[in-house]
Amino acid sequence: MKNDLMKCRDCVDLLLDYLDGNLDEKTQVDLDEHFSACPPCVNFLETYKSSSEVTTVLRDQEVEVPAAMEERLRSFLREQLSAAEPK
Amino acid sequence: MMNANSIDTQELLDGLKAQSALAVDNLVHHYSRPLFGVILNYTKNPSDAEEILQDTLLKIVRKIDTFRAESDIWPWMKRIAVNNSIMWLRKHRTARQVETQMDDSLPQFSRDGELQYPVFGWSVDPEEVILNSELSGQLYEAIQSLPYEYRVPLVLRDIEGYSIKQISSLLALKEATTKTRIHRARLFVRNKLSNYLDGTP
Repeated sequence: MKNDLMKCRDCVDLLLDYLDGNLDEKTQVDLDEHFSACPPCVNFLETYKSSSEVTTVLRDQEVEVPAAMEERLRSFLREQLSAAEPK
Repeated sequence: MMNANSIDTQELLDGLKAQSALAVDNLVHHYSRPLFGVILNYTKNPSDAEEILQDTLLKIVRKIDTFRAESDIWPWMKRIAVNNSIMWLRKHRTARQVETQMDDSLPQFSRDGELQYPVFGWSVDPEEVILNSELSGQLYEAIQSLPYEYRVPLVLRDIEGYSIKQISSLLALKEATTKTRIHRARLFVRNKLSNYLDGTP
């Protein structure tokens, strides 16, 4: 039986705070109770959490900079610095 | 990941402070790739990203005297790239994507608030995404197809690890708004990945 107080809709709305550990004790208990009786919401939680976690792979990723672009960047900086030179 | 081992940071710092041409060349050579990676999380348009990168490198050179030498230079450079990307997007973003695009990814509930369809579980390890270029492409595309208002808070939170408070302050949003946007962006990404992984919402 699903918890009468907490519906799947409420459960999904609370996922961000749930994962951040920001729920008050009562809401946390209600949500855990809902999870224990609602496999679809457990699956939803897993996939929501996984979606958030895999996104971290895009952190500090190096992306190829073509040689011509690197040259444009160098020229730009040289120009800017020489223009600012006479202090 | 950032490969900072191939360059002597102190030498680079001293060179940049002296505005040496060699140091500037080294900066471009060693840090353009990781900075470009950061910037491309905010805009997928390579020429926009190049413009932002150009401005980021110039700011790094000009602000080098404000860098505290006892800290790591990469987070400092990255912060400049992130701030620059946000400012650039704020200034240049044009037609907004329609809201319905976001609504399509929201879970559907019955009248009494229960999930309306079976939810299939899946879990992907970040390592798997790195090794699977098709999957990482799907993830990247999902993030890039988010409207700006949702993409930026998500990137700041889930990629860069900023707190809700920091994001709210950076984007001048109420914390509740920041949370809603991140949540909806995650639902969107989840939906796209679900469609790819098992062909169901």
